[in-house]
Amino acid sequence: MTESFLLAGLLNVFDPANLLAIVAGTLIGIVVGSMPGLSATMAIALLLPLTFAMPPETGISMLAALYLSAMYGGSIAAILLRTPGTPAAAATVMDGYPMAMKGKAGQALGISLTASLIGGVISSIVLLTFAPLLGSLALHFGPVELFAVAVLGITIVGSLSSGAMIAGLFSGVLGLLIATIGMDPTTGTPRFTFGELNLFSGVPFTVALIGLFSIPQAIRLILQGDANKDAAVSSIADRMLPRFKEFRALLPNIVRSGGIGVMTGLIPGTGGDTACWFAYNEAKRFARNKHEFGTGCPAGIAAPEAANNAVVGGALVPTIALGIPGSSSTAVLLGAFMVHGILPGPTLMTDHAEITYTLLWAVLFANIALFIVGLLFTRLCVSVTKVPNRVVAPIIVVLAVVGSFALNNSYFDIMLMLVFGMIGFAFDEFKIPTAPLVIGLILGPILDASLQQSMLIGQGSWMIFLENPISAVLLAIALFSILQATPIFGLAKKLRYRSSGPRNL
Amino acid sequence: MQTRILAATTAGLLASVMGFSTALAQEDQAGQDYVGGDEVTVLMGFKPGGGSDALAQLVQPFLADEMGVNFVNQYQPGAVGAIAWTRLAKQIEPDGETISITNTPMLMTNYIMNEAITYDISELTPIANIVTDPGVVVVAKDSPYKNFDDLINAAKENPGTVTVGNSGVGGDDWFSTIILSKEAGVEFQTVPFQGDGPSWTAAMGGKIDASFNNVGITYPQIEAGNLRALAVFAEERLPSLPDVPTAKELGYDVVAGSSRGYSAPAGLSEEARQQLANGLQRVTEDPEFQKAAADRAMNIDFMGPEKYTAYLQDQEQRFIEVWDEIKDEVQGSGS
Repeated sequence: MTESFLLAGLLNVFDPANLLAIVAGTLIGIVVGSMPGLSATMAIALLLPLTFAMPPETGISMLAALYLSAMYGGSIAAILLRTPGTPAAAATVMDGYPMAMKGKAGQALGISLTASLIGGVISSIVLLTFAPLLGSLALHFGPVELFAVAVLGITIVGSLSSGAMIAGLFSGVLGLLIATIGMDPTTGTPRFTFGELNLFSGVPFTVALIGLFSIPQAIRLILQGDANKDAAVSSIADRMLPRFKEFRALLPNIVRSGGIGVMTGLIPGTGGDTACWFAYNEAKRFARNKHEFGTGCPAGIAAPEAANNAVVGGALVPTIALGIPGSSSTAVLLGAFMVHGILPGPTLMTDHAEITYTLLWAVLFANIALFIVGLLFTRLCVSVTKVPNRVVAPIIVVLAVVGSFALNNSYFDIMLMLVFGMIGFAFDEFKIPTAPLVIGLILGPILDASLQQSMLIGQGSWMIFLENPISAVLLAIALFSILQATPIFGLAKKLRYRSSGPRNL
Repeated sequence: MQTRILAATTAGLLASVMGFSTALAQEDQAGQDYVGGDEVTVLMGFKPGGGSDALAQLVQPFLADEMGVNFVNQYQPGAVGAIAWTRLAKQIEPDGETISITNTPMLMTNYIMNEAITYDISELTPIANIVTDPGVVVVAKDSPYKNFDDLINAAKENPGTVTVGNSGVGGDDWFSTIILSKEAGVEFQTVPFQGDGPSWTAAMGGKIDASFNNVGITYPQIEAGNLRALAVFAEERLPSLPDVPTAKELGYDVVAGSSRGYSAPAGLSEEARQQLANGLQRVTEDPEFQKAAADRAMNIDFMGPEKYTAYLQDQEQRFIEVWDEIKDEVQGSGS
């Protein structure tokens, strides 16, 4: 039964119209993803009416291809402009841009593309084989478990601010504080809004992200002028695809990051924006050359990029198996099913199995389409680095303004973006890392809501977090992760060395 | 043929210049040209992909055919719709060129519960209601609560320990929980989530004891047997869930749900209002539309201008009463 649907879905994908839809979706996705402020979610929503006239499997394949390729597109702007095109590419900035500065923009994009392909394929395979099995996993993540995931995520601040711990903690705490702006999730009371209606739903994360990264970069380019242009821009001639030896060295990292991406996607409420940081953090934890992270290390690009593409498959698992969207983009995808008259839910795998399996195959083929289209398109994109700073800087500002307005059709958001631009610029000047602020902004709302909900469920007892096995384990890992970043851990290591030292001598 | 098009165009031009078109009889079924022009902006208070968007995507293509008017969605999400509705009430000209999808109860609970939100329904012209999604109480399939009385009795025996999820503070599910608690004289531990999905998912995973949601959203899971519906908050049993009793027949007078319709700013001409309402009514009577709505589990509940206005006013009154009673409790417990 399942096999026949698998086959029917595969044959559907090979329908010329569907292949064309996948390629078209891929192209649109890359372009949209590379524009700061235009997110995959928004692109799916905007494209949705266009797919009305298509047969459901064609329309949905196109939207899935778009979703997947937007994840890669986000890294183009992150690497070339130091401005993440989508929130899921925020971690790619950390090593992608420094690498491009070294004249290896092509190589950075090539690593990103390769990692995206493998991450995407891993998650497609998981999706095709284990979707019904893994689907129920999403049900195990309620508020209590989600709180523990968020706490674990917060500990990433420690590793992201190595070297500048106080500044990093300040940045992370400020992010958490800003995340409390808006209506309280359990009482509806507005907090820190000063009666400003536009702040009632909180600070829109994407708006803050655009401001934090793009405005300081534009200012920096302007200050730099075109003086050291030759040093900064890369030659397009550099090899894009990694050599086999390089690839083999990156592979364990990519597979691990892909796994992290699938898992993060599975958990409802967390998506590519969280997964990219988790993967980056783990890549750094496992790496021997920790000090190279942040200076243009290939592993620092491969990890977030493999993860954010793997999220797509992971997020689709509960969506397909149970009708529970694993991320905001899959929520819009579910909307697309509804528009085509398919009610999202458990019947997706039974009554509508043919369309669903077409979607699953489409995701797999979209990865391959993305790789091919990406190779061609990226060559064009790299030429951005040839454009003089005096042209690029204003373009970044224009994109930032348009992007932050387009998100909610709101002038207020443009002002908000500029305020965050100023914060980002100040942070750069005072050598305060921006990444922890981003982590705080992403995880703050999750922490806030899940903590309050857990306390309501647990009748006000904090023990609820330790009585629950999943959350207890996650919290223990978090504690370990914190200790690892403190002097205590180093001290313990030293003590052990000392006590065992003499005997060895 | 050509002359007819010409005549229609001239008529349209005349109509828009003169601002009314009563004298211009036309042969086509759509009747007179819409006085608000040939393009209407629909202000959306919620993100694309949500319930309001689903309604707009469903209704507006039919309405466009019916009225010969183009509908363009403008999304201004934020503050549970309050940003868009404040703009509708305070800034938009009532010329019929801009209307909005209005949802109950958020349209009213926004300003009832927050002093900073200053519009109210007297600043709007309700046009028509289109759909109402009745409330439903669901539990996991393996839940010990086999029927509605089990749930109520559990809450009676151990007040404040039965956890009940809802889609968020100020939403219809949240209000129906409060009204039911009062009716039955029990105390639930309410847990607000960010939207319907997380709430019923938590119930399905056994993270909470029950979830108050809407039928349209949970129907596929009820059908598949993953969730068990204990009661619906409708006047009568629903054709889609014939075995699920209404709260009313079980002795609890709770009829609740979320409704979505169209409204314009106050001062909209009676003519424009009637044209839109008539167009919407014809859409809801179209068998093709009815089928499309049924496919999407949307429960058509058409109310014309007068009825919709009265409905909104009645709901407003009820929410004010409930909120006055419980506001200290809710906002005081948030620490």
